Amino acid sequence: MTEFTSEPVGKNVSRVDAYDKVTGAAPFTDDLQFGPGLYYGRLVRSPYAHALIKKVDVSKALAAPGVKAVVTGKETPTRIGLYLKDRYIFALDRVRYVGDAVAGVIATSEEIAQEAAQLVEVEYEELPAVFDPVEAVQPYAPLIHPDLGDYEVVNFIFPEPGTNTSEHFKLRKGDVESAWPRCAVIVEDTFRLPHIEHVPIEPHVAVALWEQSGQVTLWTSSQSPFAQRDLIAQSLSIPHGNLRVVAPYVGGGFGGKAGVSMEACAVAMAQAVKGHPVKLRMTREEEFICTTVRQSLVAHTKIGCDAEGNLLAMETQYYFGGGASNEYGVNIARAAGYSCTGPYNIPNVRGDSYCVYTNLPIGSAMRGFGMPEIHWGIEQIMDQLAEKIGMDAAEFRRRNCVKTGQTILTGMKMTPIDLVACIDKVTEAIGWGEERRGAARPCPAASPRPSALPRSGGFRDSPLTPHKKRGKGIAIMWKAPAMPPNPGSSAIVRFNEDATVNVEIGAQELGQGAFTVAAQVAAQALGVPYEWVRVSAPVDTRYSPYEWQTVASRTTWSMGNAVKAAAEDARRQILEVVAGHWDEDIEDLDIKDGRVISYKSEREQPLKNMVVYGLPNEDFEGWKGGPVVGHGRFMPTYVTNLDPETGQGARAVVHYTVGAQAVDLEVDTETGQIEVLKIASAYDVGKAINPDLVLTQIEGGAVHGMSSAFEALKFDEKGQPLNPSLVDYRIMTSVDVPKEIHGDIVETPLEDGPWGARGVGEHVMVQTAPAIANALNDALGIRFSDLPLSAEKVFLALQEREEEK
Amino acid sequence: MSNHSISVTVNGFKEYLDVPSNMTLLEMLREKLALTGTKNGCAAGECGACTVLVDGEPLNSCMMLAVEANGYEVTTVEGLARPETGQSTEDQLSPLQEAFVEHNAVQCGFCTPGMLISAHALLKRNPHPSEEEIREALVGNLCRCTGYLRIIGAVQAAAKDAPETGTGILKGDVK
Amino acid sequence: MLARPGLPSFDYVAAGTPGEVIRLLEKHGEAARLLMGGTDLFVRMRDGFICPQVVVDVKHLPGMRDILYDERVGLTVGAAVTMNQVARHPDVQAHYPLLAEAANSVASYQLRNRATIGGNLCNGSPAADIGPAALVLEARFVLHGPDPSTGSGQCGEREVEAGEFFLGPGQTALQASEFMTAIRFPVPPAGSAGRYVKLGRNKAGDLSIAGVAVFGFPDGTAPSGYRFRIGLASIAPVVLRPLEAEEVLATSPPGDETFTLAAEKAMEAATPIDDVRASAAYRKAMVRALTLRGLWDVWERMG
Repeated sequence: MTEFTSEPVGKNVSRVDAYDKVTGAAPFTDDLQFGPGLYYGRLVRSPYAHALIKKVDVSKALAAPGVKAVVTGKETPTRIGLYLKDRYIFALDRVRYVGDAVAGVIATSEEIAQEAAQLVEVEYEELPAVFDPVEAVQPYAPLIHPDLGDYEVVNFIFPEPGTNTSEHFKLRKGDVESAWPRCAVIVEDTFRLPHIEHVPIEPHVAVALWEQSGQVTLWTSSQSPFAQRDLIAQSLSIPHGNLRVVAPYVGGGFGGKAGVSMEACAVAMAQAVKGHPVKLRMTREEEFICTTVRQSLVAHTKIGCDAEGNLLAMETQYYFGGGASNEYGVNIARAAGYSCTGPYNIPNVRGDSYCVYTNLPIGSAMRGFGMPEIHWGIEQIMDQLAEKIGMDAAEFRRRNCVKTGQTILTGMKMTPIDLVACIDKVTEAIGWGEERRGAARPCPAASPRPSALPRSGGFRDSPLTPHKKRGKGIAIMWKAPAMPPNPGSSAIVRFNEDATVNVEIGAQELGQGAFTVAAQVAAQALGVPYEWVRVSAPVDTRYSPYEWQTVASRTTWSMGNAVKAAAEDARRQILEVVAGHWDEDIEDLDIKDGRVISYKSEREQPLKNMVVYGLPNEDFEGWKGGPVVGHGRFMPTYVTNLDPETGQGARAVVHYTVGAQAVDLEVDTETGQIEVLKIASAYDVGKAINPDLVLTQIEGGAVHGMSSAFEALKFDEKGQPLNPSLVDYRIMTSVDVPKEIHGDIVETPLEDGPWGARGVGEHVMVQTAPAIANALNDALGIRFSDLPLSAEKVFLALQEREEEK
Repeated sequence: MSNHSISVTVNGFKEYLDVPSNMTLLEMLREKLALTGTKNGCAAGECGACTVLVDGEPLNSCMMLAVEANGYEVTTVEGLARPETGQSTEDQLSPLQEAFVEHNAVQCGFCTPGMLISAHALLKRNPHPSEEEIREALVGNLCRCTGYLRIIGAVQAAAKDAPETGTGILKGDVK
Repeated sequence: MLARPGLPSFDYVAAGTPGEVIRLLEKHGEAARLLMGGTDLFVRMRDGFICPQVVVDVKHLPGMRDILYDERVGLTVGAAVTMNQVARHPDVQAHYPLLAEAANSVASYQLRNRATIGGNLCNGSPAADIGPAALVLEARFVLHGPDPSTGSGQCGEREVEAGEFFLGPGQTALQASEFMTAIRFPVPPAGSAGRYVKLGRNKAGDLSIAGVAVFGFPDGTAPSGYRFRIGLASIAPVVLRPLEAEEVLATSPPGDETFTLAAEKAMEAATPIDDVRASAAYRKAMVRALTLRGLWDVWERMG
């Protein structure tokens, strides 16, 4: 190997997985070959949003040639769930959304399974359904989980039995009632977000094999192989040691492949055909509504500030539409509750965050975990308040944003961050102050316009035509990893004879660069070139050391710490051997570029061979050392509980990552079309282990965030999905993305991060939608409180305003 | 349902296969030939993850029957690393693949094979495309991770090195 | 309910002669479907709307893939010519740039290598991008079918004007056992210019929320000295020409007032519905906006 990168932390080294991905060699779950014994599964799904299951008749399906078994809720009577066990693997007594899985058919081909699934006869008794979370908390609303009181739940989630409320987080800080009279300006508004979906380009897929011996293997595209093992083992009564989860590369996760969705179905189906692997693949349509979605939200918020523009009080209620099962969603509502001020210093806060059952697809973790949902409202209402008090939106944020050491809404002190620096970077990059409101010219009656060069059907008017209005908007954000208090990471570092290194982790490569970061951390902590390090893949719970989950933007920090610890452990073992071999002080030794060196004697010992075979004593009178295996772990130990009545606690979360985004856009007032010209982002990541990979997260996140502003799953009045396909659920394409996405990295080190690093994978898309809404307001003077945005919505709003004149 | 005996040249190798009528070219590549680089993202012609070249022209292999491919030349991502002409060693990346690596235009990697195929075809028919032309050529390849800018940059970088081939006229019949 | 993962079972036949096609259609009736690009057929088969027993591939019949231009007769495009082939053909670009633009606006480059001009028209979708172009260029469609005068076994040809072809959503003038073999575009009038303006949810690559084709040319027989033809897509049960709008343009002098009035008239002719893509109100308003843009573009280019 001719390439040689020393001390790679902080450098833009190539991704470890890029070569395999550009050659098509990188294995994804559906690429794995299982031989002629492979069976295929297809699921039978409810056509009703809410119904009792009276009878399931699988006889016709079983009789079809090629069908091997059919599994129903009777075979999976134990509930499953991460924070709240409210779901059956196959619906048992009732279905709770259109698409709910009622049975699984296993056959020799996917086609046969599909045909046979149509032969399963289910008798339903339709029940009244409810789709809006505010409706669902009313006393007259149909009860979706009558047995809520019986569900096992973790000790920091508080469901309300007898209602559709699965979690109620309360935040009480200071005294809002006494604060309102002191406010010079108060603004109140309601914000609504629909359900949207992750749309990973790789749909969910799982292959399960249940052997006669009781050994069960699950191959799946997963962010959480260990969590899946844990939950599925519990629910199907498999001893943990007998369930093995193998997780190849993930073709996009975004939270949708965290926790358990369809994987448990595959395992339950495999149990019925022991000895044969069963492959279960989601179609794109199923991916949209039968895996998981982002929760919807109705947010009522009231905020007030004094005459100088200092925030004094906030009162807010969140009603999250959690869907048919809230097993993951309850923690999102909780996280939203303890983050409800947004990244602001507000002394008096009253927040109530509810997770509510509705008869819609299962709401769950999606990139941002409640932060995009709540920042949609927070960042707009801050803009409204700033406007009312006569302050520039960026200046208002500089004044009021949370600073290191301030006491935040849960009573914890803000961990070291520099949000003002982020604001400064984006305002500079976007040219804030130039052309704000100045470019909004009145739209004249139709007049001769310069000829636009025709191209394939689109619009390409030149930017400064009078019917276009320009606007800039800014939004800031914060997010802490939302986790239970004790999520652990562990790592192993081993050597090959040629001193190349294998790093074993349980964290998953989703495209965010986790494997690359692991290799960089290991290389630097060991003292070997980056190119010598390989990350063992696929993650396999049989061989890989434990990782809680690859979620929450925790991986660089937590997995990074574990890898660093493991590498340092290996380094210590090596130096001990060489110190003994040279009879020198270990303090005088170091490892650089794959060689042990002595600062004292200037001797050198290459790592090659000695990391496996050890070193011989003089005249071969015995040996020292042996195979070097370093191990390390990391688990935060300082997170405390929060008071259930006030949400106060010494340490609610591990740390925060903060950031700012500014958007420059143009609106074509004749069609309502929005063209985002530029997005500028800045995030305080503590330390960029690989700066270019941070920038790629910033770019991808900006586009994902922008797309999320225009996306919406649509349902009719009976809960039937109207657009579960890429034809009618549009995401951003290469033509839609702005010409320029500018990224800046701020580095305020994290005390317990590897070289000060913390995560950023979700943060990069949290505030793009409100930044766009703020820019629209700047351009048009119209505020859009409800998502999705669309050209139509903008146009009709402009038209309505014209008519009101 | 009928079965058909077909012969298709895939990545330079002539394959003789029996395929059912309703098998798509995508299924044929993945299931009959274990060429799993080409991905199934939607089976509806929308995401582009299944894009392959058929007689040099990119199309969604989920939107073509295997039987229709009889007699044609198919190129998948696995066939890109071997240049059509020249005596480079096997497994060497094409300039386009190199550019994707250098520009960090790959994240999860699932859209990457389809992107490479579409971009490869673009550079063949238009060796020096404008940014707008690149964007348009890739509109049928969805990506959820990168935000596309790195991909566009990689194609631009590869275009600078692209030889002057491609005349804009189809190599052969289009299906 | 939700789309199936793959295509259902069927028999595939590659037809060699038009007679073979008609025999198969007559034999199987509704249980047979013609395959050209498959971009619509496969999707509908997966969705369960269509379940044919036999799929007849007609792409390789003589002439189906040909594009012929004759300066006296005009352009003849085989029904199985793909959108990309239409868009990049030098004679289409030179003499029918509106058609090239419309073809190029469909979906993505990959789909345009499969989607065919005939398929686009025969689906009878009110959103068909070729529809407005065919209307304003006054195309004629060549249909091949059983010849009623000679009895079964013989087949013959008839032509249908574009304006008579579209009958309702998904309904065309194709009779049972008929299929389209070619589209004939007459020689365009001297000095003509055309533009296809399409609005989708994405900047490109989407189905249209509204599509407007405008085609104009100098004409001494018109009081205004010019004739404009307008074709509208996605705003009514069929693609259509708003004749009142065209009348305004033929009688009143070109300019601000006339174009605005014509755009209003075009909007009045539109009878769109609310659907998952857009509301009727927005579609109507966009007919006006796009028609206005199209008219100005064409006017500028006519010089």
